[in-house]
Amino acid sequence: MLSGMANPRQAAAQLMNFGLIVSTAFMMWKGLSVITDSPSPIVVVLSGSMEPAFQRGDLLFLWNRNIFSETSVGEIVVYNVKDKDIPIVHRVVRKFGTGSKAKLLTKGDNNLSDDTELYARGQDYLVRKDIIGSVVGFIPFVGYVTIMLSEHPWLKPVMLGMMGLVVVLQRE
Amino acid sequence: MAEQLLEQVRDVVDGQIDFEGQRLAELIANVALSVSGIIAFLVGFYLQDIKLAVWIALGGTILTFIVVVPPWPFFNRNPVKWLPVGGSAPRVQPVNLVLEEKITI
Amino acid sequence: MYSSLVRIQNTFGFFTTVAFVVAAFIAASDFVTPRAPVVNVLKTTNLQVVRGRPHYYSSKKEEYAIIKFTLDADLSSLFTWNTKQLFVYITAEWPSTSVSGTTLPSNVTSNQAVIWDTIITSPSADHLANIGPIALKKLRKSAAGKPIDPSRGKITLKNQRPKYQITHPSGKIAETEDVTLRLHYNVQPWVGVLTWNQNADYGLWNALGGGLSKKFNLPALKKKDEGKKAKA
Repeated sequence: MLSGMANPRQAAAQLMNFGLIVSTAFMMWKGLSVITDSPSPIVVVLSGSMEPAFQRGDLLFLWNRNIFSETSVGEIVVYNVKDKDIPIVHRVVRKFGTGSKAKLLTKGDNNLSDDTELYARGQDYLVRKDIIGSVVGFIPFVGYVTIMLSEHPWLKPVMLGMMGLVVVLQRE
Repeated sequence: MAEQLLEQVRDVVDGQIDFEGQRLAELIANVALSVSGIIAFLVGFYLQDIKLAVWIALGGTILTFIVVVPPWPFFNRNPVKWLPVGGSAPRVQPVNLVLEEKITI
Repeated sequence: MYSSLVRIQNTFGFFTTVAFVVAAFIAASDFVTPRAPVVNVLKTTNLQVVRGRPHYYSSKKEEYAIIKFTLDADLSSLFTWNTKQLFVYITAEWPSTSVSGTTLPSNVTSNQAVIWDTIITSPSADHLANIGPIALKKLRKSAAGKPIDPSRGKITLKNQRPKYQITHPSGKIAETEDVTLRLHYNVQPWVGVLTWNQNADYGLWNALGGGLSKKFNLPALKKKDEGKKAKA
């Protein structure tokens, strides 16, 4: 791999290739975002409040369009509380009214009480625009790597060290 | 001394195998993983047991790793015959010489 | 494939491919398994409206409806090898009468609130259930070693108290008219798409039979229950 350094043309090709991979991934993510109408069409579960349906590390696919019906009671939605940036995955348990003004109340399956306490001060209910998608698809466990890396900071140097060891032990 | 030790460790970690061995290892890995996946699905579906399916798939994968990763002797049965050093022998066109074409990174 | 490291990388790469393909097949196997959920009985047995506070330290008083019900349902066909859990819930639904000037299509109920729910885990997910060790042992035993246990889908409840006492944002719910109870379910798979109860048949999946109670009216406020605190 280091031989590319000697040949600028090869190095440039490798750089282009890398750029292509990155931009393809970015385009797919943004494309999915446009199709689903959700700013974040795939999310990783970070809390256990929806257990046993969702464990930490599970991957959820979201859909944020109301083609056939409105977002209604029983759907599992991902919402953002006003001026808090952490999306929450909970189930809609009450809905009063229809349309964009409908008042929605959510609750985690594993929580004893509903989410009133989680909402912003003075906010008793969610409205449709607080929601960034309803869960439609599920893949278990795959997102656990990201949780491991963010919650156990010592893992990053360990991984770097292992990579370094591999480089040392490899013959060119 | 340290250099020698490093070389020995490198030998163990490297686990080089010959070209025929590489072809064999790739074949074994692909076939074994596919077969364990198919068996896992069929048995799981037939017995309606998803945990069993996961265990079969994981077991098959671990077995594949054990067979494929270490440089077992049967991966080194066709060592490359290099040309003699020095070139004192008359230069004849090599007939069956395989040049690096099999190396995959 | 010349060194051990490269062999590890390549084998792991192909393993992830196989894992995703098998997962896709498992998810697809849901669609070839017939579903025929039925609700035999869903009716209210006791209706009550009391005044209470949304939480302990709130000074606001609201009206809460306590709807007791009887349920007999057979959802056992929803359990397959890919079922992780079944979430069953009953909602009370009623139209808004006071919406001025707007007419709603008849199939839209504008108020919906869950009064009772339950999580039924598949035996493959029993270890994840949020219960104590003794209850877990009992749950495990109930499956008797079977990988799936359709008998768990049979629900019989008599004069069941609701888990949630419901109210309306206006704080008024007494004497609400045309309320119905409806049973819903949500099948959570181990991998694949989440599904809810259907109103029509799709392929091998039948619509939920029954699941709707008769219309009823909530009673007037009960006066003497002043001291009773409602749990929201």
